[in-house]
Amino acid sequence: MSNSNDGLVQYHYRDAIAGFFELPTENARAILPPELQPIEPHHGSSVLSVMAFDFHDSPVGSYGELILSIHVAPRIEPGEAWPRSAFFPFRLGTTTRESREHAIERWHLPHYMQDISIAWDRGDGHITIHATDRGQPIVDMTITEHEWSKVDHSYQAFMNDEEGQYTSTIIMSGEFSENEEERGGITIHSQAMTDLLEDWEVDFTPFREMWMKNGLQTFHPLKQLLSYARR
Amino acid sequence: MATRVEAQTSMSVSDYDYSSFFYSSSDDPFAILDPYSEWYTRALRTGYYLFQQPMSTPPESRIEVTEGLHHEHIKLLNLASYNYLGLSNRPEVIAAAKKALDQYGLGAAGSPLLSGMMDVHVQLEEALAKFKRKEAAMVFPTGYSTNVGMISGLMRPGDWVIADQNAHASIVDGAILSKANVRFFRHNNPADLEKKLKQTTGKKLVAIEGVYSMDGDVCPLPELVEVAKRYGARILLDEAHSAFVYGEHGRGVAEMFGLEDEVDIHIGTFSKALGGQGGYVASSRKLYYYLKGFARARVFSCSLAPVVTAGVLESLGIAQKEPELRDRLWKNVRYIRKRLEEEGVDVGDSTSQIIPIMVRNDRRIFELGHKLFRAGLYLQPVIYPAVAKHRSRFRVSISASHTCEQLDEGVSILVRVLREEGVMV
Repeated sequence: MSNSNDGLVQYHYRDAIAGFFELPTENARAILPPELQPIEPHHGSSVLSVMAFDFHDSPVGSYGELILSIHVAPRIEPGEAWPRSAFFPFRLGTTTRESREHAIERWHLPHYMQDISIAWDRGDGHITIHATDRGQPIVDMTITEHEWSKVDHSYQAFMNDEEGQYTSTIIMSGEFSENEEERGGITIHSQAMTDLLEDWEVDFTPFREMWMKNGLQTFHPLKQLLSYARR
Repeated sequence: MATRVEAQTSMSVSDYDYSSFFYSSSDDPFAILDPYSEWYTRALRTGYYLFQQPMSTPPESRIEVTEGLHHEHIKLLNLASYNYLGLSNRPEVIAAAKKALDQYGLGAAGSPLLSGMMDVHVQLEEALAKFKRKEAAMVFPTGYSTNVGMISGLMRPGDWVIADQNAHASIVDGAILSKANVRFFRHNNPADLEKKLKQTTGKKLVAIEGVYSMDGDVCPLPELVEVAKRYGARILLDEAHSAFVYGEHGRGVAEMFGLEDEVDIHIGTFSKALGGQGGYVASSRKLYYYLKGFARARVFSCSLAPVVTAGVLESLGIAQKEPELRDRLWKNVRYIRKRLEEEGVDVGDSTSQIIPIMVRNDRRIFELGHKLFRAGLYLQPVIYPAVAKHRSRFRVSISASHTCEQLDEGVSILVRVLREEGVMV
């Protein structure tokens, strides 16, 4: 079952990929709630991550998901585990209405309200996605592989909507590959889901590429925040 | 209860790095100390103790180091110091420093603008200006404060500092302190520099280095200068690792490329090839006058200790009088590079006296460092975030004072350990 009694919600995936791209911090701040602090790999540069998931089993069946996020400083209470990194998803697209409604209701995640399509092209040592909306291209992204190892990584996500501000711990388990060889790439097309990015100075060479296979994404119960992490 | 770095997951020490602990989420500035200390303590057990091990000898070819975990004194072959020309312990340099100690005492007891300027400082600035063929040179107490003082002294909010993405922290921190807008272009990539310059208006400073310290590669100066000039940008060239090493007369990569007049600001350090401490800006007299008032990193620091200043002045003289030191350094570089190539060691893109020994395994680099250490070789591990993930390496720094026998010994230890550990065949 993908829904457990202790409030954990599980999503099984074939592939999960992410590209990290630098963009000016002023662009990142424009999208972040003021209380969240963008992480800067270089002074003045923040991180846009573009993630894609190919879920084959979940509380809402199989579906694909495309996520645009900004990396931020984690908010951790004494006694809690320190996450590998934290992020603020600012736009998601899913391939089914059921998965979209589930994510909005359960996780308060901001969605592009059309069903999108995600084609996965699995090559030798690389993987490419083509995300489209009714034939109109949204994003094409290629991620390359490095050494593989089994991991359970902890992440923290921040969400907000008109009802409030939230956070959740997400455990990503599975086979994991990560590199900074700058072999991957992305094309972000002019389209409604990516309109926010049009005026941003995104560097389209990923400085980090992550790929997970045959894994499990576990959401911990959502916590409502009185306010986001202080800077 | 302290925050924990260890979740109910398989996350290991290497899944975190310094950037993980930059922020915390509390009103107490000390809140970050608990999770950081927990991570750091675990990191020490996995090999981080290899950093900052105290040395009890000069940074020469043979050294003695106190091992960080068990506090044993260990004799090692040193392939890690920046003592490129072997000047740090030259008898003439030591004699000059001792004489200055007798004449001036230990410290300058004041900032250069007030009571800390001594005649030996003036002599060093004049000798440097003459050597660099510039109107003036200004001495700073450290290499770090040179870039910080220079950039923050000249650039202002609204201006642009466009730096190579691998630029030294002192360049980055100088730019931050100036409150100018900062952009980084892809390492040694003139096309990306042009892309970044195109997006800017107003005053622009392009900051680059002659030789980059992690990869040992040389900047493509002619192409970078051409782009910068086309967009009206001033050029700062930091020759920390290339001054006194490159060029027919040792004036650095700017001399090697014949572009000394095209570069607007020449930066260098005394702590590498000259074996001392401190840094300099060589440029126009007008820039000197301006920095005298606005380079706060110098104005509000005590002057470089006269004992060091006198030693550096002597080193500078030797570096000019004995070009054979550079010849010997380059002979050593060619020799060890050939030996490493023969053994099939991966040395990345280096063409300089800094030779990375690419391990490309972040999880094993400390274990390998420990084995090299125990085998008698002193090399520093370099890992993320100093370099990209999975580009971990040991950094070899060659000196004119190394003998071929010592270089053979170093290569032999290195290759034996890397083979035993399955890092190379």
